[in-house]
Amino acid sequence: MSGGSRARAVAASPAARAPEGDVLAARLRQRVASQFGRSLHIRTLDTGSCAVCEQEIRLLAAPHYDLHRLGFFFTPAPRHADLLLVTGPMIRAFDVAARKTYEAMPGPKLVVATGACALGGVYPADAFVYGAVGEILPVDVWIPGCPPSPLALLQGLLVAVDRLAEKVSGLTFTAGGDAEPPAREAER
Amino acid sequence: MTALQPVPAGTLASLLTAIGSASVRDGGGAVTVPVPAARLETAVHHLAGAGARLADLFATDGDQVTLRLVWGLDTERQYLITETAIDDLEYPPLSDIAPAAFAEECEIYEQFGVRPAGGKPLNRVALPPHAGPDFPRLGHQPAQPPAEVHAPHTVGGQAFEFPFGPVRQVGVESLYYGLVTSGEEIVDLYLFTWHKHRGLEWRLRGRRPAEALFLAERAEGLSATAVAWSVAAAVESALGAEPPPAALLTRGIALELERLYNHAAAMAALCQSTGLSVGQAAAEIALERLLRVNAAVFGHRYLFGVVEAGGVRRGPDLAALQVGLPGGYGELRRAADALLATNSFMDRLEATGIVTTEQARRLGLVGPVARASGVAVDSRVDQPAAPYFGHPPAIAVRGTGDVLARFQVMLDEAAESVRLIGDLAAAGPGTGAAPLPGGGGAGLGWAESPRGEALAWVSLDADGRITRARLRPASVRNWRGFDDAARSQNVFTDIPIIEASFWLTVAGTAR
Amino acid sequence: MPLWFARGLRRGIVTTRYPARPDRSAAGLPTPPAFRAGVIDRRLADRLVAVCPSRALHRDGGVLVFDVGRCTACGRCQEAAPWAVTPSGEFELAGTSPAQFVKQIGLVQEVGQ
Repeated sequence: MSGGSRARAVAASPAARAPEGDVLAARLRQRVASQFGRSLHIRTLDTGSCAVCEQEIRLLAAPHYDLHRLGFFFTPAPRHADLLLVTGPMIRAFDVAARKTYEAMPGPKLVVATGACALGGVYPADAFVYGAVGEILPVDVWIPGCPPSPLALLQGLLVAVDRLAEKVSGLTFTAGGDAEPPAREAER
Repeated sequence: MTALQPVPAGTLASLLTAIGSASVRDGGGAVTVPVPAARLETAVHHLAGAGARLADLFATDGDQVTLRLVWGLDTERQYLITETAIDDLEYPPLSDIAPAAFAEECEIYEQFGVRPAGGKPLNRVALPPHAGPDFPRLGHQPAQPPAEVHAPHTVGGQAFEFPFGPVRQVGVESLYYGLVTSGEEIVDLYLFTWHKHRGLEWRLRGRRPAEALFLAERAEGLSATAVAWSVAAAVESALGAEPPPAALLTRGIALELERLYNHAAAMAALCQSTGLSVGQAAAEIALERLLRVNAAVFGHRYLFGVVEAGGVRRGPDLAALQVGLPGGYGELRRAADALLATNSFMDRLEATGIVTTEQARRLGLVGPVARASGVAVDSRVDQPAAPYFGHPPAIAVRGTGDVLARFQVMLDEAAESVRLIGDLAAAGPGTGAAPLPGGGGAGLGWAESPRGEALAWVSLDADGRITRARLRPASVRNWRGFDDAARSQNVFTDIPIIEASFWLTVAGTAR
Repeated sequence: MPLWFARGLRRGIVTTRYPARPDRSAAGLPTPPAFRAGVIDRRLADRLVAVCPSRALHRDGGVLVFDVGRCTACGRCQEAAPWAVTPSGEFELAGTSPAQFVKQIGLVQEVGQ
């Protein structure tokens, strides 16, 4: 962070693109973010990951990424935390522990779900898992990846406190050009 | 199954004599001996007495429940599987003879409803307390749910017991364990894994190998290559597929890179647990560099997506390997040397979390934990398969069994991994996969993960779909050793240090 | 501890400048796919849906629906049709609502002779 101003991304602000129902949520998030901009305490929560997301999260404090320079800190105490960083597909047997951790955090607070498992991928909802963190906790920001790299996590945390604008809504995941399919494609 | 008729020798021959049978099947990666239920106790006594290592115990459902014990006859370079059909609901108590079997006996009871005779209380392990009759199981619900009872412990004086977790320190996996303490000293420690039980073995049923490997990698993501390799090898053994040699060289490079970054991560965790922030930072620099080498060489920081059934999906970028590995390993070495010269750090490691040689053998421990306790077990050498057959690693062994010994073993292994990677890279690694033959079968596969031997046993039907997949990452085997290590004269603040030196995962145990 | 202090000084700074400056290591990361809409018909779309192990793809009539949130960047869809599916190169994927992750790719009626 340089000087007294917050870093801003070049991408357009999300408010104009947010669906109707999310306008209130966006405003609340902005209010919350304005309080967290300079100093954010993060508690992690594993709802059933394969352990790799946790390793990438641990690296946020490592010299290459150093989340402290952005005013982010890890805290073991939910009471002291502003943001809950959640991995895993929300195993059903864990839901009470997840809610207790969330409820132990005083408001205002944010929830960030990260990793494909937490976003509904890998494991479908079944008797073992809910399949997505959003089934049990009110999620504010989602960060895809398997695992999300520390850079992706940093971007997500900065989006959560409104210091970067999200860009995924503007990405189409289509490629232009006139690539020809190989001949005899119809026979495959 | 093949039609080989081996001449039984060594332990196998004496076992057959002991149980009075001549029936042997060779194929699928192991020698399988059907053992009638009435002879099972004799067989287990005999094998345990002959020094065989109980590597796994699992059950399969069918007309009857079939119990399989996988034994490592390490000096004879062979795996032996005893196969026993259980007619009624009980089988002879095995963990009295082979204490390594206790966690598996509990798991089998809650999944299949069969239990060891004798009425000894069994722990709940992977299924949550609310799991009713409709909860997905590999077999049937037991007649009585397992008691919420831990293995009995002996306490001299007053002790109290409290549950810890599952939400623990920041940045570590959830884990629920019971701690029995007399104040500061740890008397007993036992794990429950239902908070991370995703039912991987149940999910793999009905899947083809390609889909199965996607999930198998994510059983224990920090051992993605090893677990995927063990499952792929089991499928290949079952169906009689031979991966191309170039693909096996590639698997070896990926596995050794996996070992390297895990040992760097364990080093960072050791520094964190002892409060040495500056050492932690140095180890994390090494770890990050090694993860970037993985990404450059194989396209993924954690080596997901390399192994496929029949071979590998991606070949290594050898130029990137040559450019990146020396620097990454150099960081690791320099950080380690500085740590070994820092007395305040070394003092925390010496004589902490001791696992004796006898405990390591009795519990069937594997990996650096076993090797640091003087048990020279390493599946790359004991059960050599390509590529290690042509490139055998030196096994790193220490005798003291404490945290320091495990740290030193990891450092020795890291150096050996770098050497191996050089050899494998020079031998012509490549991509490609052999086609999988049709027809069904069953097979055993293994790979030496950073934590130790990862095993898998897979049976497939005639359509090539999995009917039973048994996943046994090394973490399943070694957590029992963690209980013992924590118990030996240690205090609370030692637990994170011991945990870092074991470097297991909850995901791999709970699956 | 002069040993560590001297080592640290010699090592220098490795910290990324992200987000103020781009980080070169991002180039080595696996990323979700980008789909060439002009060459994917329903049949290819169904093959891509079948090959995705994470349920990130499904077909809704003439539209391939892609949920970026579920994608693990495993590359199987790209392997199945490398002329039609390429890495997007995008890793800054955080979103503030689930709808932002759901992408629609229009399918052509039929491709090839």
